[in-house]
Amino acid sequence: MASQLSPVWQRKSTSSDRLARISARFLSDAPETTGSEDSCQTIPFLLDNPGQSWITHDLCQVLNQRGYKSVLCHLDEPLNGDPRHLSGEPGERARGNRYCLVPVTSVETVKAARFDHVVLLVPANLDAVLTAYRRIKLLTEDHHTEIGIVIVGPRDQHAAWRYFRKLAVGSLRYLDVPLLNLGFLPEQVTPQHGPVNHHRKNFLARISERLVRSGFYLSAANRSATTG
Amino acid sequence: MKLCIETAEYCDREELRTLLIDAADQLLGSGSTLLEAKLPWDGHPVLFADADGHPVLISFDPEQGQSALLNGLQTSEQLSNALPWVNQVYDALGNRQLSVRLIVVSRCYPPGSHTILTGCQQLTLYRYRTLSINGETGLWLERLDASAEDISATGDISPAGVVEGPQDRVTPVPTQINAGNDLPALSEEESAFFQQL
Repeated sequence: MASQLSPVWQRKSTSSDRLARISARFLSDAPETTGSEDSCQTIPFLLDNPGQSWITHDLCQVLNQRGYKSVLCHLDEPLNGDPRHLSGEPGERARGNRYCLVPVTSVETVKAARFDHVVLLVPANLDAVLTAYRRIKLLTEDHHTEIGIVIVGPRDQHAAWRYFRKLAVGSLRYLDVPLLNLGFLPEQVTPQHGPVNHHRKNFLARISERLVRSGFYLSAANRSATTG
Repeated sequence: MKLCIETAEYCDREELRTLLIDAADQLLGSGSTLLEAKLPWDGHPVLFADADGHPVLISFDPEQGQSALLNGLQTSEQLSNALPWVNQVYDALGNRQLSVRLIVVSRCYPPGSHTILTGCQQLTLYRYRTLSINGETGLWLERLDASAEDISATGDISPAGVVEGPQDRVTPVPTQINAGNDLPALSEEESAFFQQL
């Protein structure tokens, strides 16, 4: 696997642990969902702005339609006070569901809730990529956080890839944080489209599939249990 | 030899273009290469490659500093987006993918010049006068120093001296970007990395 990686992905020494961590994120690998299917997994989404909340809402719908019973939960923000673990069971409301999607708008909330994984919704422009990078820097300065990226509003797949690559290379090079590409929503997909819009549904379905298959939502403890 | 220097009549856009191309060494330093004398975008700016391989855009307007600046910023953004293509087209850039420098020339500095300069490290602002020296038309250029006192955008100017020799090159000032509320600052290397796609 190491020989297939471009040199830009290998800035720091390629220890076996590091390669294992990165290679475990390839979507072609077997999903790591065994052993955790009974519990509800919390998936926080860090929105670039509150206007993106339709994405988590629709993603939740698509997950349900695909047989993954899911619920959307909102946290009161800002989440101040003592840090508390919300990564595990999200509570009574989510009982019986497989996934609990939690849209948040501030890094402080993610940190206060001690989420060890988060999906960033990043608009397709350079300013937003830079903001996302700084949020990642803030998120990962204290403890390890798994980060997935959805690029929102690129012109096409190539543009989405360019923005993701910029962010991923920067994060790996300067922060030693690998990012997971969870897909993109092109500019043609807007909140004005109805949720039944075929085009919109297709892109959301791809994101949901990547999200589920990657095992990204598993907490670090569960992940090591399933791989151990 | 007797020098007879006097202010010349205002030149039109195309005359100014010619004078600026002639003054490339003063604006860009020696070793620059003219890539496009008239780009097909608003204001029809001029594109050079400097000695380091930076694409340098000279956006100008005989009178309106503001439109020269806006046209320059727009074109600069378009060039930045198409940087890989631009580097393939022009050999003088050496395919080094360096960021675009912007030089804006007008009779008066655009409004808010000092603020703009503080935020745009790749931008240089000049104002000009056309002079007649022994019957030959020449260009007097004055570069705005960001650290100097603010100058009225609309105020008239009086030449403080004739520019001789190459101008100072634009040297990026180390900066810590901290635009977000509580987001961490970036190192110079990180800032440079995220300047363009």
